[in-house]
Amino acid sequence: MQKATHRLYLILLTLMVAAAGIYLTALGWDYYQTGLEERFFHQSHELLKPSGLWGHGLGVAGTLLILGGVFGYMARKRYRFMRHWGLLKHWLEFHIFLCTLGPLMILFHTSFKFGGIVSISFWSMVAVFLSGIAGRFIYLQIPRSIEGRELSLNEVRGMRTGLSNEMKAATGMDSTLIAQLTSLTESAGTTSSRNYLANYLSDRKLISQALNLMKQKGLAPPVKKKIKKLIASELSLNHRIARLQKMQQLFRYWHVAHLPFALVMLVIMVIHVVVTILFGFKWIF
Amino acid sequence: MKLKSQLPVLALLLWFWPLFLKAQLSPGDLCEPHAHLEGLSKCTLCHTLGNKVSDQKCLDCHQALDRRIKASKGYHTSAEVVGKSCVSCHNDHHGRNFQIIRFEENKFDHRLAGYPLEGAHQKTACRDCHQKKFIADSEIAAQKYTFLGLDTECLSCHDDYHQQSLPADCLSCHDFNAFKPAPQFNHDKAKFILLGKHLETACEECHPTTQRNGKTFQQFNNLKFGKCTDCHEDVHDNKFGNDCKKCHSEVSFRQLNKNHVFDHNRTSYPLEGRHATVACAACHKKRITDPLRFRYCIDCHEDYHRGQFTASAATADCEACHTTEGFGSSTYTLERHQQSGYPLNGAHQATACSECHQKSGDWNFRDIGRQCVDCHADLHQGFIPDSYYPASACTNCHSEESWASIRFDHNLTSYPLQGRHQGPSCRACHFSGQDPAKPVQRFSGLSQQCSACHQDNHQGQFDRDGLTDCLRCHDPSNWKAEKFDHTKTRFPLEGKHAQAACGDCHKTLPVTGKSYVLYKINDFRCEACH
Repeated sequence: MQKATHRLYLILLTLMVAAAGIYLTALGWDYYQTGLEERFFHQSHELLKPSGLWGHGLGVAGTLLILGGVFGYMARKRYRFMRHWGLLKHWLEFHIFLCTLGPLMILFHTSFKFGGIVSISFWSMVAVFLSGIAGRFIYLQIPRSIEGRELSLNEVRGMRTGLSNEMKAATGMDSTLIAQLTSLTESAGTTSSRNYLANYLSDRKLISQALNLMKQKGLAPPVKKKIKKLIASELSLNHRIARLQKMQQLFRYWHVAHLPFALVMLVIMVIHVVVTILFGFKWIF
Repeated sequence: MKLKSQLPVLALLLWFWPLFLKAQLSPGDLCEPHAHLEGLSKCTLCHTLGNKVSDQKCLDCHQALDRRIKASKGYHTSAEVVGKSCVSCHNDHHGRNFQIIRFEENKFDHRLAGYPLEGAHQKTACRDCHQKKFIADSEIAAQKYTFLGLDTECLSCHDDYHQQSLPADCLSCHDFNAFKPAPQFNHDKAKFILLGKHLETACEECHPTTQRNGKTFQQFNNLKFGKCTDCHEDVHDNKFGNDCKKCHSEVSFRQLNKNHVFDHNRTSYPLEGRHATVACAACHKKRITDPLRFRYCIDCHEDYHRGQFTASAATADCEACHTTEGFGSSTYTLERHQQSGYPLNGAHQATACSECHQKSGDWNFRDIGRQCVDCHADLHQGFIPDSYYPASACTNCHSEESWASIRFDHNLTSYPLQGRHQGPSCRACHFSGQDPAKPVQRFSGLSQQCSACHQDNHQGQFDRDGLTDCLRCHDPSNWKAEKFDHTKTRFPLEGKHAQAACGDCHKTLPVTGKSYVLYKINDFRCEACH
């Protein structure tokens, strides 16, 4: 997939989730604001109640989306025969899409009424969703191959060595200046602290020094911009290298939280669905 | 990801599952009336597995409603409800305070319940009627919440104001608007039809409030009405019998029947004497039946005597002296006058009443005085000294028998009356003057000389020093000159002289218009006579 096409695809997915949220909110705005003891008498109750045509449908559809999102992504990761079925990164993105839209529909299925045993499933779903957002952040901190596979520390360090060559190829600057700029980035970022604010300020200061240096040499603005971007990328890579081990450890812990909550959610959801069907609430069937 | 690392967390969650399972599967709390059905084991009391909520399960509990539906009675058999499931109106699991029966009182069409609300019932709050105390069925009444069990009979909710004195069919008289008045009631259908003034009379006038079972109520039946006097007071004290309609009608007590015959003599005031001939209107000034006072004559008549008889005694009435035969005559007799403070004596008894009681034109019977001078003029005033009749006491001399009969003791004066002086009337000596109607009185200062009253027929022949003492010869008892002794004269009678008639010697001589006898003879010579 072309980078631009991929970007458009992601925007489309995001817009779908946003549109669904806006539509569902607008549809039931008055109903969902009505008190629980008054809802029965609301004109939209028959449609929007959890067992209503629309409300129950949201529950069914949301459940199917979540199930598809979870098990599809799990299968892609787990089964060998699926290894070549598209990039894992794209599966993750679709997993995020389905598991955002699904919970959103479940949220409206509940009609914002959280009670009984099924609420455990709901709150587990919320926990899974929130941990998913956190996991996505951690995921980004770990450099990966183009297929999305995690790179080892050595592989990452190897990525740094090409910076001076890249600069030279891109700008045609003299090697003295390049050496000066490279020396700036080499010292910085290698001892990354936990203080993200200090890191950020330190990076800003370093970039400022590099800009001053390029100004003294009288470089053209496009060249300056390109070099600034290269330096920033280099610094980010430096930080990632510094945090890599910590992030890899954190990511393992994250799995411990993300998956069990998903399991709890699914098990209670199954109980909920079984009880519902048992009591005769079969939606359109 | 290794499953091993997840096991402790899974185990922890599994450990707590029983706790979660203990929590209900319920989608929400049941409402208060259904709160006793809460709990995992009780779901199927209402829910049918595989078939949501069964109406029959609802009615298994709500048996009273079930019976009414089977009897095709009440709101739940109306077109608005038939065909609907119970839960389509009475849903649950919406919280403890959920109104499983929500009545929008103003919108509920009570006709659907088989009892249309009319009149005041439309303004009555549901709970004013739907109360346990009005529900006869104890099983229904025992329910905590119910709109069932009310009867459509009025008395199932309302107190029997009439205390079972009237039939229980309230609507035959009353409507739904108010207890009072009772517009459905038509008095024409009652045994006593209202006519005339009875139509305007307030119900309470004939239908009194009374007590029964310790409660006050208005009695509408079992009232006596056969006779007018069952309700009305007989102001005639039964003098005219019980049949009031002979004279009166329902139009007005005071408006009498045109052809009625009225016998006034059956009233408390029979008409007698001149009253019998007086026109009715002379006494009955306004309406003939207006009650009149008649105890005293002055209740109708003006008191001619201006209160002279009633001032001292309230009960004194004209009839003490007058009769209905006429005012001019009086029944006041002499005997009654004799018993009054001024009994009539002597000439007073023959005196007309008016002489004393109508002196100044008007009749006066009070304070006209008891002294003689109060009526009679004192003729002697200024002529007789007060010492002879102090305080004008005429009776010192006069009596009531006759004015002329006088009993004055003249011996009390310096001139006791002797002889023939005792005979004449007082006037002979004390009254003088030419006009008898205007006599000149003299009671004091009168001379005691005879000549003061008597004429000297002797032409002064016997005067001594200008006075003639008649008593030297005359005796007052008979006026004869018995005291005269001829022997004591200058010519005593001797011989034949003694036998001679007086006139032989004493000749009658004429004097102007009269004559007199010459007794004083101064010439005693014989030849003077012989």
